[in-house]
Parts: sequence; C-alpha cells; structure tokens
Amino acid sequence: MPEYMSTSSDNCVLARSGAGTELAVAGYVAQPSYRRPRKQTTTREDAVLVDRLKAGDERALEAIFNLYATRLYNVAHKILGDVADTEEVIQDVFWTAFRKAKSFQGNAQLSTWLYRLTVNAALGRLRRSKKNKEVQYEEYLPKFQDDGHHLVRPVVDWSDTLDEKYSQQEVQRFLAGALDALKPLDKSAVILSDLEGMSDKEISATLGLTVSAVKTRLHRARLFLRGKLAVHLGHSAA
Amino acid sequence: MATRKLPQKVPKNKSCKEITDLVLDYLNDNLTRGIKREFMKHLRLCPDCVSFLNTYKKTIAAAGTIKPEQVPANVRENALAFLRKRIYRAVKVFLLAIAQLSLLTALYL
Repeated sequence: MPEYMSTSSDNCVLARSGAGTELAVAGYVAQPSYRRPRKQTTTREDAVLVDRLKAGDERALEAIFNLYATRLYNVAHKILGDVADTEEVIQDVFWTAFRKAKSFQGNAQLSTWLYRLTVNAALGRLRRSKKNKEVQYEEYLPKFQDDGHHLVRPVVDWSDTLDEKYSQQEVQRFLAGALDALKPLDKSAVILSDLEGMSDKEISATLGLTVSAVKTRLHRARLFLRGKLAVHLGHSAA
Repeated sequence: MATRKLPQKVPKNKSCKEITDLVLDYLNDNLTRGIKREFMKHLRLCPDCVSFLNTYKKTIAAAGTIKPEQVPANVRENALAFLRKRIYRAVKVFLLAIAQLSLLTALYL
C-alpha cells in the first residue's frame, strides 16, 4: 500500500512504495507565477500623470501619491523598520519625483522609477544611521557533504506542518523578524520579489544590479529564511 | 570578434548541491530542456531534494502572505502637507524671481 506524503496541492506529491525505495514524483510543473501578483496601474495612466507632473501640476503629484504611497511606504518601512524614518523617506521620494519629473525617461516605468527612488533613499538612510548590522548567513544555509549530498539526512519536509503548528499571523511575524536579519540589499530583493511581486528584471532595474546578481541575492536570502523557518520548527537548517 | 555561443552542457547525475543551486531557475522556468530533465530525474530519485524544494517553495509562499500595511493617516497627512508646502515655496520663489526680472527690465527700459 503506497504511503502518500506531502499532499498539499501546491507541493510535489511523492508516492513511496511499501518496502521498496523507489520514489515516484508527480506534479513537478514549473511555476513562473509563484510570485505574489502585483497591483499595477496602466502605463497609459502613468504616462498622462507623468506629463502633467512635468508641467508642474500639483494635482498630478497628489494623484501619483494616492496611487503609489501605500506600496512605497511598505517597501521603505520593511527596509527601515521605523515609522518616522519611513515618513521622511516617503516625503523625499515624492518631492524628488516632482522636482526631477523632467529627467524621467519615458522608456522606464513610473513605478520602477518610484521604487528605485524609495529603495535608494531607504538604503542610504540605513547606511547613514549605521543600524546596518553584519549578518552571518552560514548557520542557516543548507550544507552538503563532499560528494554533494545533503549533510543532514533525511531533509525534513515541514511545508505542511508550518501551517498546522503556527497561525498565519505567527508565521508572518516570525518571517518579518527574519527579514530584518537579512543584509539590506538582500532584504530589498526579497521584498520587491516575494512581497511586491516584481520580476528579476524589474528588481535589477530598481536596485541597479545585474539580473544575475539579483538572482544570487534572492536565492541566498530565501535559503536563509528557509533555514530560519526550519530551525524555528525544530529541524536542521541544513 | 564575435564569439560563438557554445552549446550548454548537460552534466549527468547532478548532486543535491547542484540541484539546490538550480531551484530558483526551475521555479522561474528558466532551465534549458536538458538541464530540466536532469533536474527532474534527480528529484525522482532523491526525497531529500523533494523536501528541500517543497520547503523552499513554502518559504516564498509564506513570505508572500506578509500583509501590506496601510499608511498611517498622520503619515499620509504629514507627507501631503510637506509636499504642498514645498510646492508653494517653490512657486513663491519662482514668482519672486519673475517679478524681480520684470522690475529690472522696466528699470533699464
């Protein structure tokens, strides 16, 4: 009688045949849409607003503020972790957008430009405040034997037990704390990707990094978060 | 001189470490057909990597559930007041400059 493991619809389904060790894997479909879908304003709407902003229209700035303030506030607050600092960053970002609207290139997206201003302002503030701490990831990253196998076996699949053991709020609280332990640029990459639903290319334009650098940072940060969750659940991060 | 792109090699029998490095590209559907075949082949034989993949995906999903916060009302009001004040000041400076210029022009004429 096969014993089914990991039956969550989102996860891979493994069927283990009784005494044998042969494993059958089903449901391995690549999921390009695994990221949180992102709320987007239409490019046309943005283009009209940018034209009005370039002409110095104060109401256009307010309209852009109403469209983007929540998203930019969230990004800045997640990076900085402080409401007063976030407030100043948001003010600076919209004021810069108003002053420098003429330098905005039509081939870029307004949202990407605003995110870029926000992340740069937040990271700059973090650097100046010296709240930036040195983080050691090593403890929470997967480890391997010399032949490339996992160092600690079996690797426990806690993907279903996480929701059983903790409420969604508890998981969110824990992850928010773990996010804070990431290096600022890595944290920014995770926020833009997993919370804001940006593509690697958009993140690369926002952070001023190559796509490959974005992928490296994103992967390392997720490995760290995964390790943190595993340890929190009483398993090995390796 | 243009360099010719070499065909991507498909190493056989990937290790768990290599599979771990490919997870992000797998989820983004960025693996070449050959690499993906090797990736899947490894998963069929390695429950540890299946567990790793499931927990990696769960981490992304859990991070995605972090709810966006609303901008506190006072932060919104302060920011809008700040922007209006700045714009008013900038307009005032601009109008003063125009007035001074007009005055100077009138004096010279």
